[in-house]
Amino acid sequence: MKPEITVVVSRGQNHDPAERTRDHEIADRLSARGDLEVLVVPHLNDLPANAASLAALRQRTGPLIVFAWLYPRAAHWILDRHKIAGQFGATRIQADADAKSADQTPSDSPQESVERVVDFRPLPARSIYCIDLRDCTSTDAVHGEVERILTELGHGAFRSSVGSSEGNGSRPWQAIADDTQRRWYPVIDFSRCTNCMECIDFCLFGVYGLDESDTILVEQPDNCRKGCPACSRVCPENAIIFPLHKSPGIAGASGSIDGLKVDLSQLFGKPAPDQHLGQIARQERARQLAASTNPSTSATSPPQAPPHSDSSDDLDQLINALDQFDL
Amino acid sequence: MSDSLVFRMGEFEAAFPTDRQYARNHMWARRQDSAYRFGFSAYAVRLLQDVYFLDWIVEPGLDLQPRQEIGSIESKKAEASLYAPIAGRLSILNPELLDDPSAINVDTYGIGWLFEIQPSIPNTLEEDDPSDLMSAQEYVAFLDEVWVATQRTIKGQLG
Repeated sequence: MKPEITVVVSRGQNHDPAERTRDHEIADRLSARGDLEVLVVPHLNDLPANAASLAALRQRTGPLIVFAWLYPRAAHWILDRHKIAGQFGATRIQADADAKSADQTPSDSPQESVERVVDFRPLPARSIYCIDLRDCTSTDAVHGEVERILTELGHGAFRSSVGSSEGNGSRPWQAIADDTQRRWYPVIDFSRCTNCMECIDFCLFGVYGLDESDTILVEQPDNCRKGCPACSRVCPENAIIFPLHKSPGIAGASGSIDGLKVDLSQLFGKPAPDQHLGQIARQERARQLAASTNPSTSATSPPQAPPHSDSSDDLDQLINALDQFDL
Repeated sequence: MSDSLVFRMGEFEAAFPTDRQYARNHMWARRQDSAYRFGFSAYAVRLLQDVYFLDWIVEPGLDLQPRQEIGSIESKKAEASLYAPIAGRLSILNPELLDDPSAINVDTYGIGWLFEIQPSIPNTLEEDDPSDLMSAQEYVAFLDEVWVATQRTIKGQLG
């Protein structure tokens, strides 16, 4: 008998009422099928290492279908960090821009000769499909995608046998409670990481360490300085994910795509983007170091003038554009 | 509410009370004893629309550099990092917003305030006038200048 397939719905941490209802709608819809175990857990990013949710997931050895308010790569490597590991299952529910950039697995990379951590430390065979709830705008589409995944997993026969033994009744989803607080830490995408040690050399806060086989790991995630993504910028393979970072490229988007929402950071004082990544990373690190050692001193970049433009479109068009920007 | 100046944003009229000052990053500033209390201007709130999430990466007691990143905000339409409007020591973050930031939309000039900073004003400046802050009149003139860059920011991302 095949191991059971488990659906995991990871709740949002947002105050968006639509987000709050979406995860429950999906849990309800998939529970109603009656043939899937559905677990509802807090936001994956915020689960502490000893969370009951993670312990429960470690007991599931079959395929996982994980819905989370995170980029699929971020969700996948958060789970991997907690020893809930598997092959990266490709989903077809994606933002449009994401779909265009296709999968960026190492096998697609031209640098085939470079050895990645997963090459010498393979992932278990079972599949983990991570789906970004931000892209799940229709429960029908979600249901259809789950059907497709079940077919891909060869789950049809199993499904009918369960259906006959349990009738057509639904199988209520199960919520696992954990006390969570917002956490901030990096996770490593080991399908990209080459174990080059740039990050452990760069980070001054002891976040990184080595395991018994001298492979990089995030040893002390809670040493990480909240809001600081500096090591992600210095990683030559873009393998370091800060799941909650605002920039899609740092938060685990599959390609270098822009987020769905307008970024107003420049309006609110973001320095002009004319600095080299390494320079930004060193400044971020220096600021965090100053803040952690002596609150009364500081190290930061000098303020820069905001960008100017000679465009002559009018503000009405701008506001109309905002209003038409329907997510 | 005291007198206000109005800046038209399409059909929307953004009002700026004249009883306070404004920073270039679209926050209002009002003297509260020795500190300045800051909040989003109506212009910023209109661009953000419904605020869903507000997160700070700094804590009270920290000395802020101007334009140092201090947190982030996410709304129905937009997301943004937030930066210190002036130099000084952060004295308090509005506790009412930590669980539910919707007061920003309900009353941005009142209970929707964001934080207070004790300004590190150089001695050469007049006491009530950190050079970074503008009057409501100056802010409206500033908006006339910067909406072009604003538009480019948004349209570039929409395009």
